[in-house]
Amino acid sequence: MPNDPWFGSLAPCESHVPCGPGRHVVRWEAGELGLPSHADPEAELVLAALGGDKARCVEVAEAWARHTADLTVLGIGPRGPADEIGVSWDDVDAAAQAGAGTVFAPHGPRRLASPPVAAIARVSAARQQSQRELGQLSQRRNDMLSLLALGYGFQVRLIGHVVAAHAGRLDRDGEGPSIRPVLTAALAGRLAPVAEQWLGIDPDQVAVSLHRGEGWGSTEMTGRGEQRRLHISLPAAWLARVWAPGLALAGGHLVVAVRRAGWPGAQVLALRAPGAEPVPLDVHASHDPSGAPDVPHWEV
Amino acid sequence: MNREGAETYLRLLGEASMRESLAGAPAPWAPDGGWARMTIVGQVLVMAGALDAVTFEEICGDFNLAMSVRQRREPAGQGSGRGALITGPVTAPPGKTFQAVAMARWAMQSQPARPAPRRGAGRLGWTAGSAGRPDAEPPEPSRDDGRADRFVPVGLTVPFQHAGVGGDLHLMSYARTGSGARFLVAWGTRTSSLRRLMSMQRLDLIPFDRFTVTDDRGAQYQLDCVCAGNPEWTGEISVRPAPPEDIRWLDVAAPLSPAVRVDMGPASPAGDEPRVTETEYSPGERLLIVLAERLLTTAPESGQHRPRAERRPRPPHPMAANLGDIVAALEAADVLSPLSPLPARLATLCASLDFDGHGLTVPPAPELPEPWLSMLAHYQRRKPDPAPVREGYAGLAVDLPRLDGIRLALLGLHHTEEGSSLHVMARGLVSQSRPGPFGLDRGFPLSVWLRDSGGRWHATRPADRRWTDGECTARLQLVPPLTRPTDSVEVLVSGQSAEVRTRLPLRWGYPS
Repeated sequence: MPNDPWFGSLAPCESHVPCGPGRHVVRWEAGELGLPSHADPEAELVLAALGGDKARCVEVAEAWARHTADLTVLGIGPRGPADEIGVSWDDVDAAAQAGAGTVFAPHGPRRLASPPVAAIARVSAARQQSQRELGQLSQRRNDMLSLLALGYGFQVRLIGHVVAAHAGRLDRDGEGPSIRPVLTAALAGRLAPVAEQWLGIDPDQVAVSLHRGEGWGSTEMTGRGEQRRLHISLPAAWLARVWAPGLALAGGHLVVAVRRAGWPGAQVLALRAPGAEPVPLDVHASHDPSGAPDVPHWEV
Repeated sequence: MNREGAETYLRLLGEASMRESLAGAPAPWAPDGGWARMTIVGQVLVMAGALDAVTFEEICGDFNLAMSVRQRREPAGQGSGRGALITGPVTAPPGKTFQAVAMARWAMQSQPARPAPRRGAGRLGWTAGSAGRPDAEPPEPSRDDGRADRFVPVGLTVPFQHAGVGGDLHLMSYARTGSGARFLVAWGTRTSSLRRLMSMQRLDLIPFDRFTVTDDRGAQYQLDCVCAGNPEWTGEISVRPAPPEDIRWLDVAAPLSPAVRVDMGPASPAGDEPRVTETEYSPGERLLIVLAERLLTTAPESGQHRPRAERRPRPPHPMAANLGDIVAALEAADVLSPLSPLPARLATLCASLDFDGHGLTVPPAPELPEPWLSMLAHYQRRKPDPAPVREGYAGLAVDLPRLDGIRLALLGLHHTEEGSSLHVMARGLVSQSRPGPFGLDRGFPLSVWLRDSGGRWHATRPADRRWTDGECTARLQLVPPLTRPTDSVEVLVSGQSAEVRTRLPLRWGYPS
């Protein structure tokens, strides 16, 4: 596998975020999230910590940083360009307001003639714990909605970050058993629709497993009719290096690896049919004006 | 056990469910939608100890959020045509989030217990959990481990008349265990206004504080109602303080009435000595047996017990609809062998009950266990039942050998026009968890069957439970209820490691 960064075939990406009275640009490029509309985000963070208002753009950047290794992203994020996630900034605002009401709704105290001190302390501690948990849940949900509201381009890049953060830890004793199921499902959920496009096979007939070790993996078709199964084994990093840049299918081939990353030109290893040996292909990306934004079209 | 395989299976099931929902299959929250598939399979894996509750909670939470932020396409032939988008994000229906929370809480309660030490006969495999709620004390085994527990069949009636209120208190049995002493009782009244009030669970109207209880040494005790259990007017009355172990009798007297003497002497053993037979069920097989029993006991409610011609098309039972997934998940978790005969038996059961869409791919088995066949025969009978069985109660006092870490005592049998119930007490490794959906109950993992003297088998399902100091008294509802008078019963209790059978003669008492 090449040692170049996983995001080498991903173009820069921008989204507009309601921030203060206007809309600001948030930009992803070469694995970094930037806020070009804010001259000094770090200084704004310091001011916010001192009690000042925090800009929405800064909140988004903080949420991004909190979730670049969050495996939950893989379960919620898109499975492909056709998997539309309809979250707008209005939805984010509505959810934030609803969450705030839930967490901080005041309850008038009930006065007792002789307050049971221990019981009150227990109830108070339980309530504080409950509010903390609700607050964490609320922040996690708001984070996720904000990141989804950035649009498809950011969603797939975030998935790439998460996969890249964990792909090298699959064989660690303590972590591997908890990471592998998530990555297997993430791979299956995204590879099955690709296989459907590639071969016309029912996605439920695609059996996906994580490839670990040397090489790009394997593919094999077995059975007939309802018993037909396409067995595909690919490394988790395929999601970051191939799927996230939209490279999964090119010229009727299933791309199984990237030999030389680049934008808009790259060289990939691709299969014409299951069981075949992969061949190197030079591919070139363009933005299809009739397609969805941030979804490149790769041609051989 | 393959925990990684179990989690992977559930997550892959979530992917498939999401794909189907987005392609126009039933909405994820529909009874046969992806949510139902996920939760029932997840619960089964938690029950099997192959998936921890926190992971189950996370998977459900992610699935919930993932479905909420997606736009769902209308199925073909509806709306403006295939692929038409419903405007705006589809959100979980009101309460769905709370359902997820409730599911997670149930799962937390069902968290597998740490392995329990083996005691007594049989292996400990699928042990009942002991985690309990986070804010509850984990139940401890009885202090004396059952050695000093005492169970006495009574079968006596104490009439009472006080302040215009009259009736009968029927003492079925007496139990003295680590958590105290109590009578299992049924009651009836001769006062219509009281009958109405008692039907509203106002058992406190019976003047227990004016009853007197005296032992053979002159010591006096109080009666206290601790559980007005159910509409069938049975419950527990505690005796406080707990009388010593070696008393010979108790005199129980209602106000201004002669005492009724309850003999506490060693009674001749009732029925056969319980017979223990070791079994070789894996945790997955044991779960499938429990699911089969739930299918059998819910058949009357789902209408699947009616003659075929009278049945109407209906959606598949949520539990039957996911049996294929459940079997595959248990195999993925390595708690069910691919060679197990249980999936084939379930396929036969589903075919017999006309449960379609179960997803089991194995051919049906030619044979079923005798109790299952007996219940199927009952459901398929066309003749009406004979004359109703008279309302009555029969005291029992049988302490069964430990099974999967649980000691079960049989305390009484009770029949009314509303149904038949077996009353039991469980001690040992039972957890204070509520049953999950579809009746999966890690807190009471044993199967209890009863065969009447006519040879008909009756399954049981927990109806009411009450916990005291790690002990659980429960009313098990008989399905089907008794339909003929029976002068003896055979009770079959089975767990993962063994099963216990005992035959008991019954001495019925009938309310006046």
